[in-house]
Amino acid sequence: MEILDGYLSAVKRCLPRKQRTDIVAELREDLLSELEARAEELGRPLTDAEQYAILMQHGDPMVVARRYSPNRRSLSLGWELIGPELFPAYLFVLGLNLAITVAVIPMSLMIYHVPISVQPFILPVAAQIVCVTAVFILLNLVRVKFPQQWIYPPAELASVIPLQKWYSVSGLIACSVLTLWWLAIPYFQFLVVGPSAGELKLAPVWHRYYVPVFLLLLAGIGQRAVSVVRPDWTWLLPTSRFVISGVGAVVMFFFRTHPLVVVDTSAKDLAHAEKLARSANAWMGWGLFGPWLWIYLAIGALFYAWYSLPHLRRLLHARQHRLRSVHELNGVL
Amino acid sequence: MANGTTGSPEILENLKLELRRGCLIVAVLAQLRTEQYGYTLRKALADDGLAIDEGTLYPLLRRLETQGLLVSQWREEDKRNKRFYRLSPVGEQILNHLLNEWQSINTSLNRMLQEV
Repeated sequence: MEILDGYLSAVKRCLPRKQRTDIVAELREDLLSELEARAEELGRPLTDAEQYAILMQHGDPMVVARRYSPNRRSLSLGWELIGPELFPAYLFVLGLNLAITVAVIPMSLMIYHVPISVQPFILPVAAQIVCVTAVFILLNLVRVKFPQQWIYPPAELASVIPLQKWYSVSGLIACSVLTLWWLAIPYFQFLVVGPSAGELKLAPVWHRYYVPVFLLLLAGIGQRAVSVVRPDWTWLLPTSRFVISGVGAVVMFFFRTHPLVVVDTSAKDLAHAEKLARSANAWMGWGLFGPWLWIYLAIGALFYAWYSLPHLRRLLHARQHRLRSVHELNGVL
Repeated sequence: MANGTTGSPEILENLKLELRRGCLIVAVLAQLRTEQYGYTLRKALADDGLAIDEGTLYPLLRRLETQGLLVSQWREEDKRNKRFYRLSPVGEQILNHLLNEWQSINTSLNRMLQEV
């Protein structure tokens, strides 16, 4: 009943606090009756895939839970941008991201002895609001267009659901484009420094971090390519992305502590180039390679660690089972 | 014209949903004249041609209970705890009123359709 429990715990998380136990007990009873009726029809226990198919018919846990909620707030601008099913999750994710950002920035500023002011907060906070809102608008669109698809399967269920091909393919394309951009940077420095390419050049720190970032991007491509061919290897995505995001967070944390561009000595107006370098470093240090990037990767690592847990539990369970079988066999012999 | 062709299935779906919503309440109340638990109620409704998913049924049952139209009780059956629902005395009165209303609407509609 691991799958059913996973489904119910996902529903429970989104239910009104006071009614949780009661609603889940009732849902459990209903779903158990249905699973048993199906097993009786087939004359054998249901496989994981069959259990999953039945739960899938019942709908996304988040959507099921929201039907019990008296709160139907949504984000609308003439038309619905984020529906009531996703709105509480949107507020939670946005709040969490903003809280982490607002807590981490002063710490970073103190570590590097930079006086605390409002300015360093503006871009990361605005970026968080824009990005999280955009992601949820997109999720809402997907939910409306494909109501049968689960937006956010709980970890226990995700461990048995084969990956959707379109998801791996679109990720593969996005990751390949990003990798090509990264590969092109040493040859076309304007991709980073923009129109100031004649006066500025990449700082030496790029030599140290270029290859590790490239390897992480390659690992991302590899995972997505394998997932296209083997969508049933459900352990691959969370475990590999846990490692990629974790290492990526560390790399990006240290990468942005150095100046990213320096003055090109061949620049005609060195004083102007110095000024440009300062503003480019500030822009990149708080924008393109700002703290949001390593925070995002660190949150991603935690997220994928959570999604890796059911696989780890299953692995340990299988090992224990194997050891027990060997002991039993030794006892017989 | 383009709006008409792309919009009508959606409009039809929404109208069907609205029509169904009211009917489902009457159907649930009518089924619960005899005591049932969620799964058997859902099966009974589906068998009578009014399939309803549990994500819609249980919130509806809760709402009707809060409104005092249903009463529920947790009880053990087949070694499992189940929540049984039945119509309350108030629910019975309301159901009768709703059925009268339903008959009256049905008669009016039939008359209109025959005139057409």
